[in-house]
Amino acid sequence: MTLTESPVAESEAAADTDGAVEPESSAGALEAPRGLAQPFMTSDAAHVGRLFVVASLVMALGKAVIGVLLSFGRTDAVAPDDLFGGLNAYFRLWTLYRVSFVLLVVMPLLLGLALAVVPSQVGARNVAFGRAALASFWSWLIGAVIVVASVLAGGGWGAVDGVTGNESDAMALTLLGTGMVIVALLLGAIVVATTVISLRQTGMGLLDVPPFSWSMLVTAAVWLFSLPVAIANIVVIYADLRGRPAIAFGRPESPDIWLQLDWLVEQPAVYAMAVPVLGIIFQAVGASVGSRSSRPEAILIVIGLFGLLAVGGWSQDYFTAPQDLRDGLVYVAFGLAAVVPVVATAGGVGELVLRGSKTRDRLLDARVLGAGAALKLLGAAALVGALRVIEPLDLLETSVTWSVFHGVVVAGLIAAVAALGTWPQLLFGPLQQKLARPAIMLLFGGGGLLVLADLISGFIADDPDLMALALDGSIALNVVALIGSVLVLGGLAAVLAAVASALRPSTAHASEAA
Amino acid sequence: MRTTELPAAESTRPRTVVVGSLLATGATFVAFAALVSVYVQQRQHARALGEEWFPSGTVELGPAGMMMMTLMLSVVTVQWAVQAARAEDRPHGFIALGVTLMFGAAVINQFWFVYQDTAFAIDGGRAELLFYAVTGSFIAMLIAAMATLTVTTIRSLMGPFGRDLAHAVQASAMFWHMCVLCYFLVWYVVFITK
Repeated sequence: MTLTESPVAESEAAADTDGAVEPESSAGALEAPRGLAQPFMTSDAAHVGRLFVVASLVMALGKAVIGVLLSFGRTDAVAPDDLFGGLNAYFRLWTLYRVSFVLLVVMPLLLGLALAVVPSQVGARNVAFGRAALASFWSWLIGAVIVVASVLAGGGWGAVDGVTGNESDAMALTLLGTGMVIVALLLGAIVVATTVISLRQTGMGLLDVPPFSWSMLVTAAVWLFSLPVAIANIVVIYADLRGRPAIAFGRPESPDIWLQLDWLVEQPAVYAMAVPVLGIIFQAVGASVGSRSSRPEAILIVIGLFGLLAVGGWSQDYFTAPQDLRDGLVYVAFGLAAVVPVVATAGGVGELVLRGSKTRDRLLDARVLGAGAALKLLGAAALVGALRVIEPLDLLETSVTWSVFHGVVVAGLIAAVAALGTWPQLLFGPLQQKLARPAIMLLFGGGGLLVLADLISGFIADDPDLMALALDGSIALNVVALIGSVLVLGGLAAVLAAVASALRPSTAHASEAA
Repeated sequence: MRTTELPAAESTRPRTVVVGSLLATGATFVAFAALVSVYVQQRQHARALGEEWFPSGTVELGPAGMMMMTLMLSVVTVQWAVQAARAEDRPHGFIALGVTLMFGAAVINQFWFVYQDTAFAIDGGRAELLFYAVTGSFIAMLIAAMATLTVTTIRSLMGPFGRDLAHAVQASAMFWHMCVLCYFLVWYVVFITK
């Protein structure tokens, strides 16, 4: 047995309750650039991580506004044509909302948390490639700006009512931005994974890393197997779109482009952004109640299993007959099995609570509230996902797809709030409970309503309506969805307020004094 | 009580460049494999409908086989560069890297000939479109591999071969091997089975 593979008591003893360990040596500590140059020059991953988190939260706020507008468009109070200036414009924002919440909000948010937290957890001074982490952030941000700007300029991922040649150029720009964002996220994932694999403290085996670091390693593996497939899709679409006239895959007047990429926001690929949520849940609860699992290896297995079930590049049905793939045994098995790791996580969290301190303050801590809310929403999403793949229910091409999506996305947002409270010293400082708790409750309420509205709408819809271009469900359900969207928007505003409050020097000093 | 602070032991897992490159190489391979799978699926679909994929005689095997041979030789030379870097043998390292880059340029030149020879229009049909998507992506990957090798060569000119540089050469070689593997897929799927 080699030394590197054997767990040692010292490293475990060095780990505090939130899993952070002291770096091996402080020698060679980074000299960070100061002032305005810092965001452009720093190779300190903690700083890059914070940039990712703030930018993602700002993006989330913008996308939540779009969500409210889309929900308002479903209420029959005003026709989408009037509200957005045409059905095609509605479709553009509808697709932007979905792609953005995955690629521009939740994935970079969790990646940012990982860049800030993982090095400390594995006992490294910094991530493996500090400058690559910074390149990841800036290329993601530039790609995100390109995506949003090009969509607003008439681009997007296809159309439904025919477009002009100018819009085809904007679509090419959207594809370019999407590809750039994906490559940036992959680069960040590689940085995090390499840090866990190569820069662990001496004596810390791969199975000894804390749950969040492990979940990020699993996430990186899942992204590396899934996101490059989207790059391949984009290459094919782009080649067709620019080869004029587009003949097959990139026809700008049809929704074909979206249909080649929609697997990214559907089961099972949508679970890929929820894998770190499990790691955060375990650590947030453990840190709050002050306990550790008696079976840490079981936690790693649960997270690994969820990651395995989140690999989704194979599940795109554009190139095959949809019924061949989605009625197939593998797709159904993936959908049903995703419930298992979430239920196992609930069991693991229950054990942590039972073994820990169960005082009222600790159980009402924002970390526990956030972890519990994220777990409930993720569990709801996994259950709805299991229902969705049951063929006799005929839910595959209905709004139930977006019930799963909303559950996972909002669970990711809530888990991020729990993480901000769990590792304040590595992020923005202590969050004010009076802001963090309402933020979590608003997000949980909003996410729950969205999951419920889309689920029931899917059950009562007469015809498959995956695009939601026709207004499905009853007006009452659409109003419920609108309320949910508004609550999510309010929750995100509260999260940003909590982060801003934590960043204020006076708050930090007061917290230190306390 | 006085304690003695011992220096931290050197990590036994320092090969960050190799590990990072391995992950990046794997991701690139996944992307290329997905691209090839789209090609195969579309070709299968077309044939199931009784359609012709490429007009007969348009895609010749000769140049493609020559490229395969060239890249097989480059596998040897790039590994020669890795060995030279490990042994800190600068002359052999430069020669090996230079020859590898020359092989890469030869393949790009050969592809130019293939494009002229086939004279496909990119909007000529699904087959032509995917032909350009797959081979164009391969050329982009090959250029990226040549760029990393060039950077490594320049770095080696600026100082002595050390462990870091040996790892950098090894990482570049890994990406190069992946490119050759990808070309093997192209060779078999596009040029042999057409």
